[in-house]
Amino acid sequence: MSKPVLVVGGGPAGLSAARALADAGQAVVLVDKEDRLGGAPILSGYAKLVPSHEWAKDAIGGMVSGVEGHKMVTVKTGTKVDKFDGDPGNFVATLSDGSKVEASATILATGFTHFDSVNKPEWGFGTYPDVVTTTQVEQMLSTGAGVKCPSDGREPERVAILLCVGSRDRQIGREWCSKICCTVSANLAMEIREQLPNCNVYIYYMDIRTFGLYEGEYYWASQEEHKVKYIKARIAEVTSDGKRLLVKGEDTLVKRPISIPFDMVVHAVGMDPNVDNMTLSAIFNVDLNKYGYIGKPSTYAHMSETSRPGVFVAGAATGPETIDDSIAQGKAAAIAALISASSTVREAAE
Amino acid sequence: MGVHPQIADPVSPAPQVSREKLEEIFDDIRGHAVYHHEIHGCLNCGICTATCPSAHYYDYSPREIVQLLWTENLEGIYDAMQEKIWACAQCYTCAARCPFENSPGGLVMIMREVAIKHDMESAKEVLRPFSRVLLKVISTGNQLAPNMITKEAFPDWGPNVSKVDAPLNILRKAIPMPTMHTLDTAWIVNLKTSVELYSIWEATGVLDQLETVDENLFDVVSDVMDEKREEWEDWLEEQEDEDDEDDDD
Amino acid sequence: MTNEIGENGGAYKGFGAEWNASQLSADEARRATDWVEAKIDKRALLTTKERKEDVRDVMWQLEKEGEILVHRVGDHNDPIIAKTLYGWDKKIPTNNLWHHKSCGQCGNIPGYPTSVLWLMNKLGTKYLDETDQTSCTAWNYHGSGIGNVVSLAAVFLRNFHQAYVSAKSQGLPEGTYYPLVHCGTSFGNYKEMRHFLLHSAELREEVKKILGKLGRLIDGKLLIPEEIVHYSEWLHVVRNRLKEHQVIDVSNLRATVHPACHVYKMVPEDVIYDDQVLDGNRVAVTTGVLQTLGANVVDYSTWYDCCGFGFRHIIGEREFTRSFTIDRKIKVAVEEAKADVMIGHDTGCITTLDKNQWIGKAVDKVYALPIMADCQFTALALGAHPYKLAQLHWHASPFENLLEKMGIDWEKAKAEFTDYLEEVKQGRIETLYDPKRAITSGPGYVKPKVLAGGE
Repeated sequence: MSKPVLVVGGGPAGLSAARALADAGQAVVLVDKEDRLGGAPILSGYAKLVPSHEWAKDAIGGMVSGVEGHKMVTVKTGTKVDKFDGDPGNFVATLSDGSKVEASATILATGFTHFDSVNKPEWGFGTYPDVVTTTQVEQMLSTGAGVKCPSDGREPERVAILLCVGSRDRQIGREWCSKICCTVSANLAMEIREQLPNCNVYIYYMDIRTFGLYEGEYYWASQEEHKVKYIKARIAEVTSDGKRLLVKGEDTLVKRPISIPFDMVVHAVGMDPNVDNMTLSAIFNVDLNKYGYIGKPSTYAHMSETSRPGVFVAGAATGPETIDDSIAQGKAAAIAALISASSTVREAAE
Repeated sequence: MGVHPQIADPVSPAPQVSREKLEEIFDDIRGHAVYHHEIHGCLNCGICTATCPSAHYYDYSPREIVQLLWTENLEGIYDAMQEKIWACAQCYTCAARCPFENSPGGLVMIMREVAIKHDMESAKEVLRPFSRVLLKVISTGNQLAPNMITKEAFPDWGPNVSKVDAPLNILRKAIPMPTMHTLDTAWIVNLKTSVELYSIWEATGVLDQLETVDENLFDVVSDVMDEKREEWEDWLEEQEDEDDEDDDD
Repeated sequence: MTNEIGENGGAYKGFGAEWNASQLSADEARRATDWVEAKIDKRALLTTKERKEDVRDVMWQLEKEGEILVHRVGDHNDPIIAKTLYGWDKKIPTNNLWHHKSCGQCGNIPGYPTSVLWLMNKLGTKYLDETDQTSCTAWNYHGSGIGNVVSLAAVFLRNFHQAYVSAKSQGLPEGTYYPLVHCGTSFGNYKEMRHFLLHSAELREEVKKILGKLGRLIDGKLLIPEEIVHYSEWLHVVRNRLKEHQVIDVSNLRATVHPACHVYKMVPEDVIYDDQVLDGNRVAVTTGVLQTLGANVVDYSTWYDCCGFGFRHIIGEREFTRSFTIDRKIKVAVEEAKADVMIGHDTGCITTLDKNQWIGKAVDKVYALPIMADCQFTALALGAHPYKLAQLHWHASPFENLLEKMGIDWEKAKAEFTDYLEEVKQGRIETLYDPKRAITSGPGYVKPKVLAGGE
């Protein structure tokens, strides 16, 4: 049997990769810089996930226990990779705890960073306490604290969700679509409406991209069953008259600018490249793409490969990605790593 | 605004503005040096109109301007150049907000330049109240002068230009910056500076623009320019004479 | 800051100080903000120069290729580094400054530039205010469409070239003085022109031909400034030094800020955002100096709106200008923010906000909000004479109310000024610097002794 496969990052993609390798009888070392596994859905306290409507701590929690309890997996949390040398079949990773791991291959499942709304100051985040992010609303729901205005704890009667915050915006050098925010926002809007039946929820959008089967379950259902209102307008600025938030938009039907009062404004924050990608790129000697994500030289034949043989990649490390696709990519990367590991063993034997 | 030539007469099949003319205008817009810097595409999101001050008071929408140009709606572009483009307040908030980094305000500037180039009636009409300013800025290099701010010119600005009543020249001399002890320009402009500026106007076609929109004004400006240039030449000659005298010493 | 409005009028009011206490438990509050706190310092990290172009990188490259020459902010300009929107550095010169005046200010609000020069005298800053300078001509261009990119770029580089060589008239080396742009329109326009110049070889070629004829090239090359600096940026970086000279308490004042579109919306990546000012969420200039002086800066819902100036509207479509300025700025600042004053940092805005209130009487819209520039307000707080120096008599808005709140006896000051006007009639004029320095060439130029002796 070959040396273990090193999996970096314990989010959906990394957990999926580790589990697949382990189930196939391949030893795995899984490292994560945080003090627990689960990645963004756990660390950021997501509420119910798309598309299963399961709570994140149940859905991803199940994946975590499946890996943590697996005899083929060694889990090292609170650990980073400091150095990574060698060739396919014979890599040596030096970890931040000083230990070394000899690995046949490695999978980078290093994820993304939520867009930081302070980069769009005109939308009021950081200035007005009742301007929050989708992540914070997820936390309000998942902790049981309930959806309340942070300024005074009141339940909002009018909520605006602004899409494409940190996405599709050349002003801040982020031209990509973050893929998930439309669906996540529709989902959140329904959850807010369930919890606060008297609350009006508006979603301001440029385009709605509840792609594939999400159209019926999220875009249409949020309107038909939950009476969420969709308005085609990108908001120019969020300010306050001292009582409520004011959202400045265009009524695109009559071409007139309008200011609409709200109790709470939610930024549907996009997915940035992991802030550590420059460091990861240097340590693992892999190229980043022009957006700052880990690059994939080939789309079809070798979908999990990076620019360095024996180093594979999966999930949102490669670009904005959904949880279910990250899980699929984790499994694909596991297969790629297994093939790589077995071929180096075979070559050594020949 | 007066009567604008219509694109098409509803009862006549023949367009009043020929297709060739419309294309010529659009080609001038599209061929402008910075056109491709100001427009890259449009998602119709409306963020520009949302934040546009003029959209509050006029039938004007920056989103519409971008859409007309992006979709190459030649009739619509021509119509917009009759009136709408002059509504823009040039604050460039639209450009600061557009996720595509378009500059609707910059596009409006291009359309204004082209409206002038094509001698469009809208440009002439709109620039009529601007003629005093044009005269001032082109002949002196200063857009605004103290003696332009009068009760007559700005009756809506209140009963007095200054809350301390005194002759304008005394009030100006009481400003503790010597460069501002003047009435005809905002500050005293060095003679050589004005002459240098005239060369810039000539080399960049600004005087031609002026001639198109207001021939009388162009004549007045030309006279002022000739005078100042002569004055400068005279001074230079004097200097040479003085230098010669110095050499004689 | 008082809690009055906060208690009666809703959840919160104004920046920071007036937030009501959150009703969340400590644990809830921590959970809700943990993530924010972890990320709040990442502005610089997240929008790097790989992602957004810094035009200065293009500039350095062109200089390396021998295409242009860069006028640097030198050590003798005592630069202070400020942080811009994405956390990048901007070098703000604070000494040996060349005043790039504003025609709108000098023609209409003369207390604006005199305050800047007076503050510089307070700090012992060296500067040159001279006559070899034109307007940027961008007001005219934006208003009328007369002018074009080539003419604007040529005017820009002509003025900046003069700034570079001006010190020679005093027997000092080229590059001694660094231009400080007073007007927001010029500031925005010059930044835009620099961008076009650096990105278009064709434009550089055209402008070079013109400036060549004028003798305005250095070693046959175009001279491009390393930084284009607005006076409000200078005021921002020296605000703590100015505070040391403060003699009037302004802590009882509620001030609203009107930020100028062409100052902070054009070329936004070059605008100062300071973590110490409004958490770096809004442009720092003006608010920074007001807070340093102790004034209460109050937020209002139309903070982002323009003033209504419109370039041509203030001349040819005044109904728009006055409606917009009264309804969307003045009224909001008075009714919503209960402001004592609105402070700006640009020529057109101050004029628009100040002059267009009077006509409000005709439609029962009387709000009486004093309007002035940040430098005028600062000069007053440092003890400048409201008429002789801050030249407030040119302002139409009721600045007298503000002076009373500041404890300044404006009637006495006005009488002193009237007396001074008698002196002026007799030719006894006080100036901020030696008038001989204002003329650097041509008729009226007096060579300094060093130079005259050298011949």
